[in-house]
Amino acid sequence: MSEHDPADDQAEHEAIQSRTRDTVARATHLMRQHTAAGWSAIEDRILTRALNAFRPSAPVRGRHDGGDFFVASDVVVARLRRVIDDVPEAAAERITCSTDDNDVLDSVTVQLIAAYGAPLLQLAERVHAVARDCLEDLLGVLAPAAEQIHTHVHIGDVSNDPRIVT
Amino acid sequence: MHGERRRSPRGTSDLDGPSVVPDEVLARQAGLGDKEAFAQLVARHGPSLYGYVFRLLHDAADAEDCVQETVLAAWQGLPSFRGDSSVRTWLFVLARHEAQKHLRRIRPSFPASGSRPAVNLDQVAQEVRDLHADTAAEAVEVALLAALDVALRLVPERQRSVWILREIEHLSYAEIATVVGITPAAVRGLLQRVRATVAATLQDWR
Repeated sequence: MSEHDPADDQAEHEAIQSRTRDTVARATHLMRQHTAAGWSAIEDRILTRALNAFRPSAPVRGRHDGGDFFVASDVVVARLRRVIDDVPEAAAERITCSTDDNDVLDSVTVQLIAAYGAPLLQLAERVHAVARDCLEDLLGVLAPAAEQIHTHVHIGDVSNDPRIVT
Repeated sequence: MHGERRRSPRGTSDLDGPSVVPDEVLARQAGLGDKEAFAQLVARHGPSLYGYVFRLLHDAADAEDCVQETVLAAWQGLPSFRGDSSVRTWLFVLARHEAQKHLRRIRPSFPASGSRPAVNLDQVAQEVRDLHADTAAEAVEVALLAALDVALRLVPERQRSVWILREIEHLSYAEIATVVGITPAAVRGLLQRVRATVAATLQDWR
């Protein structure tokens, strides 16, 4: 009868551990590679539903020849962002609107990211100008005049990354 | 679709590149109403979110509902997103929150995080053995993947989340801690436990 060698047990134990590690690694790799098949089938539906959902937003009063109308402040912010982002060397970081008791826009605060080295005062003036034009276009005669609206331009960040601000 | 020039994105950790818009930029633009930017964020992270939620819920319809709520919450929450965590981490926070809500809704007995899952251990062990027995089929890899899924069902949701977020999504311990609401040290401990469970469950697999 052969003598039992504890070293054999140890070797077998280590072999099992090694095999298990390999198995787990292989299974984990498979899970990483496994693309959730269902996602592509539902992606468009999920995105559309989300974008059509109500996003809490205060009304802002506008006025045109036919009378008063209301625009969601969300829409005002989105329009401002578009025109501000089109200003070279500037990007909108945050835009907040406030309205009076009659839902008339009385304050817009624009926080900017400026490209490194941009002349900040000129940049702020350009942003102020395009924001004013945008509001006039959007809200008609109820858009506050330049001297009436409190447009604060804060330079919240400076970046030389062209992917952030160009 | 906005007509403005698109600022080239800066990528997340695994998406860095000169032409990849960073998550933070997309989030800022989406927060200011840019739907195209939001669509890019969803396209970038949707597959991971869906995969994560699917492995928590084990049901395609439930996973879709849950990811729908996650994406909706993201769209509505982006205007107030302050960037305290990365966008990706924040999205996983939303996804886990929605998954837990969903589990509590469809299974009122869903255990609180950290407690044992409502899984019959003998049944799970038998499932692994059955999968193992099927290795003669050409779908060995499918069976192994399924065995791992079964092994993960043995652990509580929180441990499962930690394992998936680390091993599949490669989040850091700090990011996982944010998602799961514990400390990074606790993440390390949970990860050790779930790794041990997975290893023990798959030990007999060849």
